[in-house]
Amino acid sequence: MSTSSANRTIEDILLKPDAIPAMPPKTMVKEALEMMTAGRLGLACVVDRKGCLVGLFTDGDLRRLLLRSQKPLSALFADDIIDHARTEFMSVDRHTSISEALSLLQQREIFDLPVLDSDGKLEGVIHLHPALRALLESDGE
Amino acid sequence: MMSKIISVGGGDVATVNIGGAGPLVFLGGPCAIESRDHALEMAGRIGAICKALDIPWIYKSCYDKDCRSSIGSFHGIGIDDGLEILAEVRVTQGVPVVCDFSDAEWAAQTASVVDFIQIPAYLCRQTHVLLAAGETGKPVHLKKGQFMSPWNMKNSVRKIESTGNQQILLTDRGTFFGYNMLVNDYRNFPIMAESGYPVCFDATHSVQLPTSMGNISGGQREFIPALVRAAAGCGINALFMEVHDNPDEALSDANTQLDIRYLENILAQAKATHEVRLSLLSQWGEDNVHVEC
Repeated sequence: MSTSSANRTIEDILLKPDAIPAMPPKTMVKEALEMMTAGRLGLACVVDRKGCLVGLFTDGDLRRLLLRSQKPLSALFADDIIDHARTEFMSVDRHTSISEALSLLQQREIFDLPVLDSDGKLEGVIHLHPALRALLESDGE
Repeated sequence: MMSKIISVGGGDVATVNIGGAGPLVFLGGPCAIESRDHALEMAGRIGAICKALDIPWIYKSCYDKDCRSSIGSFHGIGIDDGLEILAEVRVTQGVPVVCDFSDAEWAAQTASVVDFIQIPAYLCRQTHVLLAAGETGKPVHLKKGQFMSPWNMKNSVRKIESTGNQQILLTDRGTFFGYNMLVNDYRNFPIMAESGYPVCFDATHSVQLPTSMGNISGGQREFIPALVRAAAGCGINALFMEVHDNPDEALSDANTQLDIRYLENILAQAKATHEVRLSLLSQWGEDNVHVEC
């Protein structure tokens, strides 16, 4: 990794809230999946009225849910997303370096990391692909 | 999870709270308003039974029966005359009243008299009707359509909530099992209760055999007592039954309305079952068999 990419912070590459599927806790699972699909991101960010992140739901969570659930699919679709979201999750702040964020993504074998401010409000998401692109562009300099 | 409590009535009639760990509430009366004298007589007789059993109650009767099977069936006494009679029932009995409406245009006028505004089961998805009910500001009695799953009622609840109205009672009145047949799925109560709103069992419509007799609906009233005990044991906040002094001659739902001579027996058992359930929950805690997903 080049020095330039190591010094850059994730602020340059984070996906802003309007570019990620963020939704209230009582969003139906069906609606959440539609938002994830439209947003082309395998991640749903569940936020409260203040914009604080209260849950995460990923493509992987969906796979595990489908393998476990004994409900009819129509009932599962009508559940609130918060009922199936993970409420404990790792996050970073906007001052985290790209290299540090990439290390976390690699160590955890995940694709996305939420970026929160000091109050827990969702500021964006670090997605693996833009982070890698930034890394490759820096290496090409 | 205990439901929220909705409040019906108040002012010049009794306040009836439905939900939480409160007493079982009875919603009852003749299916249709047949006449002033009949409505007042039935209100007096039902009121006396509920008073003797110490059961909070809400008088139910409707001025328009828009979902009758046949064009030849009694359609109702009409909104103006019907509401005038319901207003008199309120004053003379001091009891809150519930009545449905089938046309969004009727919501405001209906709510100007009744304490509790009801959505007919067949109309439980109709957005205009649901919004009109919510906008009255009165508590809304929302019946699950016979064709609806309990989890899909969330959409109807959201339509009402979009008006700012969060006073809703969700009722199960049976689910279609093929043609001309209803069954009760008792999972519907805890599933609908997940909404946080109180839930109700409509016993008399649950035993209906919809339009099973060509141009009218049949019914199997003999199952009402057993279904009521089962529902009260499962967990409901209110019980709905249409009651008549001469069901065979009733102008609507003649095959399902409960003869008033059985009312005390059934209400007493429902109340006792409800109290036993609350006592068990108090002793053993809320149902706690959870799944991971």
